[in-house]
Amino acid sequence: MPRRPSSGRRVLKYQPLAFSPFMRLLSFASMARRNLPHPEDCQCSDEEISFDEKEKIPNLSKKGKEQQLSDSSDEEDSQEDVQADFEFFDPKPTDFHGVKILLQNYLDDKEWDLSSFVDFILEQTTVGTVVKVADDEDESVFALVTALNMARYKDNKCFRDLKEFLRKVCSEKTIANNLEMLLEKKAQDVGLLVSQRVMNLPPQLLPPLYDGLFDEVSWATEDEPTEELRRSFRFKSYLLITKIYKLKNPKQRKPRHGEDIEETIFLKPEDELFLELSSWSFTFPMRSQLVTSQEMKNYQLMGLVMAVEANKIPKFRKMLNSLIDEQ
Amino acid sequence: MMSLQYDNNNCEIGVFSKLTNAYCLVSATSASANLFTGYESKLKGVIPIVTTSIGGSGTIGSLCVGNKNGLLLSHTITDQELQHLRDSLPDEVVVQRIEEPICALGNAIACNDYVALVHPKLENNTEEIISDVLGVEVYRQTIANNELVGSYCSLSNNGGMVHSNTKVEEMVELANLLQVPLVAGTMNRGSQVISAGLTVNDWTAFCGSDTTAVELSVVNGIFKLVQSQPDFVVSEMRKSLIDTYV
Repeated sequence: MPRRPSSGRRVLKYQPLAFSPFMRLLSFASMARRNLPHPEDCQCSDEEISFDEKEKIPNLSKKGKEQQLSDSSDEEDSQEDVQADFEFFDPKPTDFHGVKILLQNYLDDKEWDLSSFVDFILEQTTVGTVVKVADDEDESVFALVTALNMARYKDNKCFRDLKEFLRKVCSEKTIANNLEMLLEKKAQDVGLLVSQRVMNLPPQLLPPLYDGLFDEVSWATEDEPTEELRRSFRFKSYLLITKIYKLKNPKQRKPRHGEDIEETIFLKPEDELFLELSSWSFTFPMRSQLVTSQEMKNYQLMGLVMAVEANKIPKFRKMLNSLIDEQ
Repeated sequence: MMSLQYDNNNCEIGVFSKLTNAYCLVSATSASANLFTGYESKLKGVIPIVTTSIGGSGTIGSLCVGNKNGLLLSHTITDQELQHLRDSLPDEVVVQRIEEPICALGNAIACNDYVALVHPKLENNTEEIISDVLGVEVYRQTIANNELVGSYCSLSNNGGMVHSNTKVEEMVELANLLQVPLVAGTMNRGSQVISAGLTVNDWTAFCGSDTTAVELSVVNGIFKLVQSQPDFVVSEMRKSLIDTYV
């Protein structure tokens, strides 16, 4: 009798974005001459043979141009430092697969029309930036940042799914009202700020990335062909959906050896700044969990939704610049 | 012909499932039953659908290869999982674990019920086992200079689809070997990893939800899946009924 999968929820583990295509490239380089061990040679029957990235994972897609920013990144693999030049491009249709992979967990494990969402991001070439490595054959997407007007796409299924998801995960009544306002009544002034990237991307890229985005938004308010489009980029507030790590049991942890246990760990440094400047925010537990190390076992992955007023953005840009300069 | 997704908007259904004429395997480690339900809607009562993992991993499509005669599993499979498969699959299907260093059998081997294409570096021993258990003729081949023939080629008894960069001469040669028509194409919106986006048997096919209408029509054509459509019947009959047009 075939067994049906149990209806109980299982923890979904997915490949962390830390295992970026770049890292994969480096590990392939070091693995090139390695012979696969014959199974019979393995002493221990439960020795793990890692499959890591399966060949069936799609090659991330191809091509590009525009503004250039050089940056070097230090990647360590067998004590080698790797230099990399990152380039910023306008979104293109061929970036579909790369962007889709970055946005896999955008709405936790909800089944929604992610493909159309990615299509909208890629169609909007005036506002939005995709970060790739220069001279990369694969043209893998390392980071994405864009702002989508909530009202412009409100009739589409993917946005309806997104709004439904946000309403569902918002547990606090007071904030639910604010959220509802932004999603419905004030939707034409709200920009959904989508920012996703591989975990080990150098932070020096962030100021130009965000500066670029907000500059493009202000240029679009003047350069777009129709008045309707120009109007759609005059954002009064931005909505962000992002992820953070929160301590599971805040009161029970005593600092050991005088070290500070942070209550919240931000995966992206700019989230901390956004949270500080936000008008409201709420967190929700995420069902899918990233693969974590031993130090992180006390933390739980949570989703964070916040709204930031557009007039706070210049302050954000200054704070981001000083934050990155300090590092 | 159905469009399916695995957990989390993942369209690589061929990595998490395996479809043959006699049975269907679906990953047991999924957080949602979407994929299983999708298969069930078409295959329930026709062939057994078995959920399993291989060595605890959900990527069963990459780790096993099979046809109506047998199923070959990578050495990473646990005894428990192996026994579960033996119990759940029909008796005619010989289930066997093989000790092959290239354990991603689904990536390395493409087969239908009569013929198999294998990774050129496969061990001779394995080649013999494939030929015995699956009852197929085995050919070592590359496809568009790629050794992972299982990933870049999807075969059924009626046709086959290969990597889009395959040269015409190579396709002619392969078609002669395999005795089925071949087409070069893509799945899941331009992905060249055909068997990640497609699972197919003689009467039905399932593809990843990103697959475009054009890609779908190619699949329908090459794997001859439109038998039940009235147009097909009429056009086929017409050829035999009408001798000459006046």
